[in-house]
Amino acid sequence: MQKVLGDFIHALRQAGLPISSSETLDALNAAQLVGIDNAPLLKQSLGMTLTKCLEHRLIFDQIFDRYFNHSFNRDDQLKDDNRASSADSVANYKSDNEAIEPVSELVNQLESPLAQQLMSNDPSAMQVMMTSAAAAAGAQDVTFMTQVPMVTYRVMQALGDGELQQELAEMADSDENCAEVQLLRQRRTRLQQQVRDYVEQQYLLFNQNEPHKRRESNIQKISLTSIDQRNYKLMGELVRKAAKRLASMHSRRRRITKRGLLDVRRTIAANAAYDGFLFHTKWKSTRVERPKVMVICDVSGSVSKVARFLLLFLYSLQDVLPNVRSFVFSSDMAEVTQLFEQQDMDQALAEVIHHWGNKSTNYGKSLADFEQIGLGDIDNRTTVIMLGDARNNNEDGNVSVWEELYRRSQRVLWLNPEGQVSWDSGDSIMSQYAPYCSHVETCNSLRDLNRILGSVLKHEA
Amino acid sequence: MIIRNQDKINSPDTIKQQFEALGYICSDAIATSVYLACHLQKPILVEGPPGVGKTELAKKTADLLSAPLIRMQCYEGLDEAKALYEWKYGKQLLYTQLLKDQLGDVMRGAKGLDESVSRLHQFGDIFYSDEFLEPRPLLEALRSEDGAILLIDEIDKADQEFEAFLLELLSDYQISIPELGTVKAKSKPLVFLTSNNTRELSDALKRRCLHLYIPFPSKAIEQKIITAQVPELNDKLKQQLVEFIGELRDMSLKKVPAVSETIDWARALLLLNVDNLDHEWVKTTLNLLLKFQDDIEAVEPEIHNLLKVATKQR
Repeated sequence: MQKVLGDFIHALRQAGLPISSSETLDALNAAQLVGIDNAPLLKQSLGMTLTKCLEHRLIFDQIFDRYFNHSFNRDDQLKDDNRASSADSVANYKSDNEAIEPVSELVNQLESPLAQQLMSNDPSAMQVMMTSAAAAAGAQDVTFMTQVPMVTYRVMQALGDGELQQELAEMADSDENCAEVQLLRQRRTRLQQQVRDYVEQQYLLFNQNEPHKRRESNIQKISLTSIDQRNYKLMGELVRKAAKRLASMHSRRRRITKRGLLDVRRTIAANAAYDGFLFHTKWKSTRVERPKVMVICDVSGSVSKVARFLLLFLYSLQDVLPNVRSFVFSSDMAEVTQLFEQQDMDQALAEVIHHWGNKSTNYGKSLADFEQIGLGDIDNRTTVIMLGDARNNNEDGNVSVWEELYRRSQRVLWLNPEGQVSWDSGDSIMSQYAPYCSHVETCNSLRDLNRILGSVLKHEA
Repeated sequence: MIIRNQDKINSPDTIKQQFEALGYICSDAIATSVYLACHLQKPILVEGPPGVGKTELAKKTADLLSAPLIRMQCYEGLDEAKALYEWKYGKQLLYTQLLKDQLGDVMRGAKGLDESVSRLHQFGDIFYSDEFLEPRPLLEALRSEDGAILLIDEIDKADQEFEAFLLELLSDYQISIPELGTVKAKSKPLVFLTSNNTRELSDALKRRCLHLYIPFPSKAIEQKIITAQVPELNDKLKQQLVEFIGELRDMSLKKVPAVSETIDWARALLLLNVDNLDHEWVKTTLNLLLKFQDDIEAVEPEIHNLLKVATKQR
C-alpha cells in the first residue's frame, strides 16, 4: 500500500500540489485507519490529509479518479475474467476460452516464455510482468507524448517480444498450427495495446505537467520585450501568482510605536518586579502600513510591453498596495488610475496603448505635464516607480522636475528595460536622471519584477 | 474522551447517525473528518461560506462526546495573554504587601546580602506558581482532565503572529510558559479551527490540520436539515423553500442566504401559517433571507421567475 500511495502522491506533486512529508505520513495513517475497500471514504480521507484548499482539492479529485479507477477497473476486470460474466468482455473471452481447449496441450511445445505466458491466459500474472517491465523501461519518466511508442516498444522487448516474434515467424513457415499462430498473434496485439495504454496513462499521471512547468520556468527568465502575444495569457497568470505570493507575504504588517494608548495590563505586568512603580511604560498602538505608490510608465515602442506587465503586477497587488496611482506617457502624460479601476486589465491596457502609446517619446514635455497633475500629491511616504528607457529623441530632459520629485518623495525607483551597457548610448539620457533616483535597475523579466517589487514592499514595512 | 466514547465513533457512518440523532445533519465528508480527527488526533481546519454550520459542528461534537466545549473567538490583536494564560497581578501585589512582615521575620538574623538572598531562594518562586496563574481557553483545554473540544473560531481574524504561536499547540498538544516550563496536555483535546477565508492561512498551520471544506448543502441534505430543525413544516412547502433558496444561491448576490437563514425563514413561514409559497409572502419575508438592500432590490423583480422554477420542479 505504501508503494501505491507513494506513487499517487508523486503524481499529485507532479500536478503541482505542495505536499509535505508530514502530510504523506498523515495520509498513510488515515488510509490504514479507513482501509482501502471503501473508495469514496478513502478519497475523502486522503483529500482531507493531503490538500488544504479548495482549488487543490479539485485537482486532487481528478487525479484520484484517474489513478485509482485504473487499478479498480483492473481488479474488476480480473474478477470478471474469472467469472467470465461481464457483459462487455463476454464475447471477447468466450472466443478465447473456446480456442484455448484445443491448443492447451500445445502450450508446452512453445519455447519462448512470453508465448507461454500469453497462452496460459493468466491476466494478473501478465499485468505484474508488464508493470515491472514498464518501471524498468522508465515509463514514469516519459516527458512528451511522442515518447510513448518508443517506451512501448522497449517494454515489449523487455517482456520477450523478440523471441515471440521469431517463434511466430518459424511457426508461420511450418504452417501446421495455423489456428494457434492466429490466436497468438491476436493476443500479442492485445498485449501491445495494453502496454501502450499503460504507458500513456503513466505519462498522463506523472508528467503531463512537466512541459508546462518547464515553459513556466523559462518564461520567468525570458525578456519581457520579446514575449509574443500567444504567451500573454500564461504570463498574466504567472504575474498574478507572483503578486499573490508577495501580497500574502506583506499583508497586515504592523508596527508598535511609542504613541497611542497606555497599555495598562502590560505596564503593570512589566513593573510588578518594581513593587508596582511604573518604571517602564508600555503603549499600544498598531498601524497597518499602506504604502503609497505612483507608477509612471513610458508606453512608447518596446517599453510598452514591459509596462504592460509592470502594471498588471501592480494591480494584482491591490491587497497590499491599495493606493497605486498610475501615469502613462510617450509625448504627453496622463493619469490612468481610473481607467484601470473601471475596466478589465486587458481592455484597459489596450486602450492605454492605443491612446498614448507608440508616439515619439518626449521626457521633457511629459515631466512638465506631471508637474501639473501629480507632483503636488507626492509626500514623504510615497514611492515613485518610473519605467522607461530614457530615450528622449535628443530633446531637453527637464531634469529639474525629476529632481523636485526626488526631493519630495520617500523613494524613487527607475526601472530600465535596457541592459546597463546601452544606457547613455544614442539618445538615452539615463545619466541625467540617475543622480535623482534611489535605485536604478534593469528590469526585463518577470524575475526582475518580482525581486524589485518585493523590495518595494519590504522597504515600506 | 476518545476511549470512553469508542462505540460512538467507531466508523464515519456511526458518527453520521449520532449527529443526526442530535439534530445535526451532515454530509459524509464531515463525518469522515470527525472520525479521522478523533483517531489520528489531529486538529480540523473547517472552511466554508458563513452560515453553513462550522461552529455548530464543534458544538455538536462536544455534545456527542459529552466533553466540555472551550471556545476561543479570535480577533485582531488577540495575544497569548488572552488566549493562553495571565498572571494574577493584583493578587501578586496584594500578597507581597501582606507578606512584608513575614519576609522581615524570615530575613531576621541573616548576615550580609548573600545569606539573605540565599534564604529567599529557599522559598522558590511562590509568586509565579499555579496559585497565581489565570488560565485562558488554550491552557484550560490542555489542563482538562478528560479531554475537551477546543474551538478556535475565525482564526483568519487573528494576526499572523498568533497563528505561529498556535503551531506548538496544534502539533504537539503542549505549550511553553517561560516561568513554569512546558505544559503538556493531560488528555489531548479535539481541536476545531474555523476560517472564513478573509486571508490566506500559513502553510505551516494548514499542514498540521485536516482540511474540511463545508459547501452549501445539497438540496436533499438541506431538506433533512429543515426537517430536523423545523419538524412542523409541511413537506410541500419545505421542498419549495429549498428549491427557492437553491435558485437564489445561483444568482450573483452580495451575500447569498446560508443554511441558518434558510432555517430562520422556515421558522418564520411556519409562524405566519403559510402553506404555499407565493409572490406576496416571499416579498414580505425576503428581508429574512437577504441582508443587503442591494440584494433585495436585485431579487424582487425576479421573484416571479424564481417561484416558477421552485414550484415547478416538484
